[in-house]
Amino acid sequence: MRTQDNKLFSNIDWALLATYVILVIFGISNVYSAVYNPDKPGLFNLDTEHGKQIMWFGVSLFLGVIVLFLESSFIRKYAYWAYGATMLLLIGVLFTSPINGARSWFGFGSVGIQPSEFAKIGVALALARYIDINSSAKTRKRVTKNLGLASLWGLVPFIQKNKGIALILGLPCALVLLQPDAGTFIVFTSFILVLYREGYAGNILLFILVAVIIAVITLLVSDSSFLFPIFKIKLSGNTGIILALIVIAGILALLVKSFILKRNRKSLYRSIIGSFIVAVIFVNFVELGYSTILQPHQKVRIDLLLGKIDDPDGKGYNINRAKAAIGSGGFMGKGYKSATLANASQKHVPMQSTDFIFCTWSEERGFVGSLFLVLLYTFLLLKIVVIAERQRSIFTRVYGYCVGAIFFYHFLINVGMAIGLAPVIGIPLPFFSYGGSAMMSFSVLIFILLKLDSERKIVLK
Amino acid sequence: MKNIDNRKYVIALLFVLIPITFIVRLFYMQVVDDKWKERAAQISENKILTYPSRGIVYDRNQTKIIGNEIYYDIKVVPRQTKNTDSVAFCKLVGISMEEYTARMIKARKYSMRKPSEIVRQIPPDEFSLIAPELYKYPGFFEVARTLRVYPKQIAAHVLGYMNEVNKGDISKDNYYKSGDYIGRMGIEKMYEKQLRGQRGVKYYLQDAIGIATGEYENGKYDTLAKQGKNISLSIDWELQAYGEKLMQNKLGSIVAIEPSTGEILAMVSAPSYDPNLLVGRHLGENYTALYKDTLLPLINRSINTAYMPGSIFKTVMALAGMQEGVITENSSFACNKSLIGCHNHPTAQNVSDAVKMSCNPYFVSLTRRIVQQGKSNNIFKDAAIGMDIWAKYVRSFGIGTNLHTDFPTETRGNVPDTKYYNEHLNFNWAFSTVQSIAIGQGEVTITPLEMANLAAIIANRGYYYYPHFIKDIEGGDVPDIYSQPNYTMVDSAYFEPVIDGMWRVVHEAGGTARRARMDSIAVCGKTGTVENFKNINGKRYQLTDHSNFMAFAPRENPQIAISVFIENSGFGGTWSAPVASLMIEKYINRTIQDTVKENRILNANLIPDEDDIIRK
Repeated sequence: MRTQDNKLFSNIDWALLATYVILVIFGISNVYSAVYNPDKPGLFNLDTEHGKQIMWFGVSLFLGVIVLFLESSFIRKYAYWAYGATMLLLIGVLFTSPINGARSWFGFGSVGIQPSEFAKIGVALALARYIDINSSAKTRKRVTKNLGLASLWGLVPFIQKNKGIALILGLPCALVLLQPDAGTFIVFTSFILVLYREGYAGNILLFILVAVIIAVITLLVSDSSFLFPIFKIKLSGNTGIILALIVIAGILALLVKSFILKRNRKSLYRSIIGSFIVAVIFVNFVELGYSTILQPHQKVRIDLLLGKIDDPDGKGYNINRAKAAIGSGGFMGKGYKSATLANASQKHVPMQSTDFIFCTWSEERGFVGSLFLVLLYTFLLLKIVVIAERQRSIFTRVYGYCVGAIFFYHFLINVGMAIGLAPVIGIPLPFFSYGGSAMMSFSVLIFILLKLDSERKIVLK
Repeated sequence: MKNIDNRKYVIALLFVLIPITFIVRLFYMQVVDDKWKERAAQISENKILTYPSRGIVYDRNQTKIIGNEIYYDIKVVPRQTKNTDSVAFCKLVGISMEEYTARMIKARKYSMRKPSEIVRQIPPDEFSLIAPELYKYPGFFEVARTLRVYPKQIAAHVLGYMNEVNKGDISKDNYYKSGDYIGRMGIEKMYEKQLRGQRGVKYYLQDAIGIATGEYENGKYDTLAKQGKNISLSIDWELQAYGEKLMQNKLGSIVAIEPSTGEILAMVSAPSYDPNLLVGRHLGENYTALYKDTLLPLINRSINTAYMPGSIFKTVMALAGMQEGVITENSSFACNKSLIGCHNHPTAQNVSDAVKMSCNPYFVSLTRRIVQQGKSNNIFKDAAIGMDIWAKYVRSFGIGTNLHTDFPTETRGNVPDTKYYNEHLNFNWAFSTVQSIAIGQGEVTITPLEMANLAAIIANRGYYYYPHFIKDIEGGDVPDIYSQPNYTMVDSAYFEPVIDGMWRVVHEAGGTARRARMDSIAVCGKTGTVENFKNINGKRYQLTDHSNFMAFAPRENPQIAISVFIENSGFGGTWSAPVASLMIEKYINRTIQDTVKENRILNANLIPDEDDIIRK
């Protein structure tokens, strides 16, 4: 399959590689500031988190070079093998002894490996492989038609028709929930974006938006009650939502009656009734899920986000300290190694080198730094979209979107959490949060994309 | 599949919209909203207040009369306590188990990480026993603070006391913070602003546990505590102490003034108390005990009680009469006992005689001439005109006016005038109605401070300085009003006959204050014997007379003017005059020659029993 065009150095996307390197360098310098200890000022001291992070960067570069020297065909061929290997790791990790209540780590002396980070690579490759093999315009079209906002039960035929995708995504989701690791589970839901792009999931984004709005309203009013105006009956907030849904359904039905041709009305009525039933079930599911499935600390995190609890020194300690650190950065920031909150010697912001690493950055660099970092990530994400879209290979395109979706979710949730727009979910900020597994897996994701992209000019089939 | 390819734009839009949301939110948090900056400061910064030591107070000879002493509070950080042997701890610091439990509960409630007070104000000698044991109780530690100490144990009424600020103080002056101490009475209150100095603030960074980790902004916002200013008072501590000794077992007051400056040399109010009682842990209970005492030791009788002056007031009548031209120094009035009662004495031939013999009819007749000058044919209208003339003269002697003394509460005497009598008498009145004012009885009242000031005026032959305690403030801002003389309406030439009479009171046979005589010093004085009454169950009883005496000495270039007032002790010459002479001798000669006189006073117990006080 070699052609003249297959020259690694001329075809590699240098802009993506540069963005990656810049992010890593800023990330390491930021970890250095966050954990700075005047007794151990050495940058390469392996007793420190920044020293280890540099080491992991070195390991990552080594892995990246290996990836770059692999054949693309090899990567495609062994995509399922990679998936299988990471799934075995996910199963194996369930037999370790729990650390902080979760079985997420393989410990090798002082070094820990988090298989769920590597599972992202496996899932991305397997999903790309599966869609690549099974892609035909026919399949996609059929499914798209079936899956509208109105029919959640379209999920059932979707799974029936795409058992492979359901398995590829369902298995790791189930395995990380067994650890339990809610953060990684949520990251795996990012592949919905990929399915959407590939035409599998219809208007799922609109569906998710409506679902999120209904869920938020439900959680806000679920434990309150109100007086129904005319009849003076005390009703629960839940009943209120259902009444509101009846009213909305009625209005929609009236609109259909007034403006739609008679022959088309029937199916729309059915859709409205179907959506209404789904919505009512969903409202109850959200409420039930909130009160029975969620752990108490997860409930607290949601209540804090929705503003139902205000306890800055108690339950809201973490997020309050994080926001204070970011907000106090001001326009220009407090200066490098000058954070007074997100700093290892002050310890006001918890986990300031891992989950809340963004706090150190924006406290010390201010709004200017925050803006720079957000724009850098935006550039990275859009660059990945551009790369994915320029592929003739479906495998590479799907894989590219997987990488984009994963990075997007990490960025969305990690930064969103630190600035109080998302609930507290402990997942790393790529290349910024301290952690070897994350550094290696994110790097490998990027390097595989670089490698696949470098061969975009080869006609594959 | 065109419409599916368009989905890339949806995804790209999503990848742009979310970052835009974040940027807007970050801009709001970091640039627009100050809330998080304040919150961060609240979390990460803390400040220590450094308290300046309060200004020292010296007497006129630079002897320390108010100082500072270090006391110790024991505080606790509940989180750091470990296996406290509470029984032993209570025994060590001297509190009960109940107090300990209650305070620990309160401390825990306040904060587990911040210190709360467990025992306050342990004096240094007691703390020296506690200190070596305290290490056994982790979480408990001492905090030093300075409190006032009054080394000479004198002048409680003048110096005042301090206690903790209340809500009113804090709202009036935002300098104060809960737990601060403030001058509550006397000099401590009057010169609070100068004495307190200026607190300093030190900002530091603290970690999540509240432990200081470094200076904030290199100390840019720190301020140093400014030491309170030291001040010197005009009080002569030895004279003050001597006065208090003389006034033991008596009710009353002594006020001594340096006539040439208006500086108060001594101000005694009896009964007195040790000012150190109102310092430290027992302030509350001691204050209550003093407050409940029936002899009212907390009242400064020298400045906050107005009495009828009695015969010392006659000097003012003589001076006003001569100035007004209704008499000359050689005017004579018969001792007409039908006018008003008097003792037996030769007829007073002139003003000097009248002052010496203290002839009541003489001064009633004299004062009639001031009040009833015939300016109107109607006797009542005439009295109304004359009464205001009379009152103006009296007020020019500082009586019933604001003397601007640097004491927080200054009572004024009462000088009745036309308006006063019109308001208080519901019938037509003329001089004959109110004539007892001529001899210092009736409606006219005067505080011991005003009496001493009167003595100073006579000593100065016609003027006075506002009596004051302040002699020097570090940095020198003694108010100017204290160096400006105030003139009476009487020319200095008229003072000589009165002074002559006052000299004869002390030095000549038949004078009422022979007990004030000393060989070494020419004392000029005037006694007063003040009738007083008390209503008991609606019935008016006459009580034993107050003994009153005012004097100055020496006759030429007077150094001291003094008033002595002893309640319910009898004639002015019997008790007050010798007390005054001892004070004068002490001040001028620094030693007492006549120990018989001194012992008589020291041994006298003149505090009346409730039953004996009524004159039979």
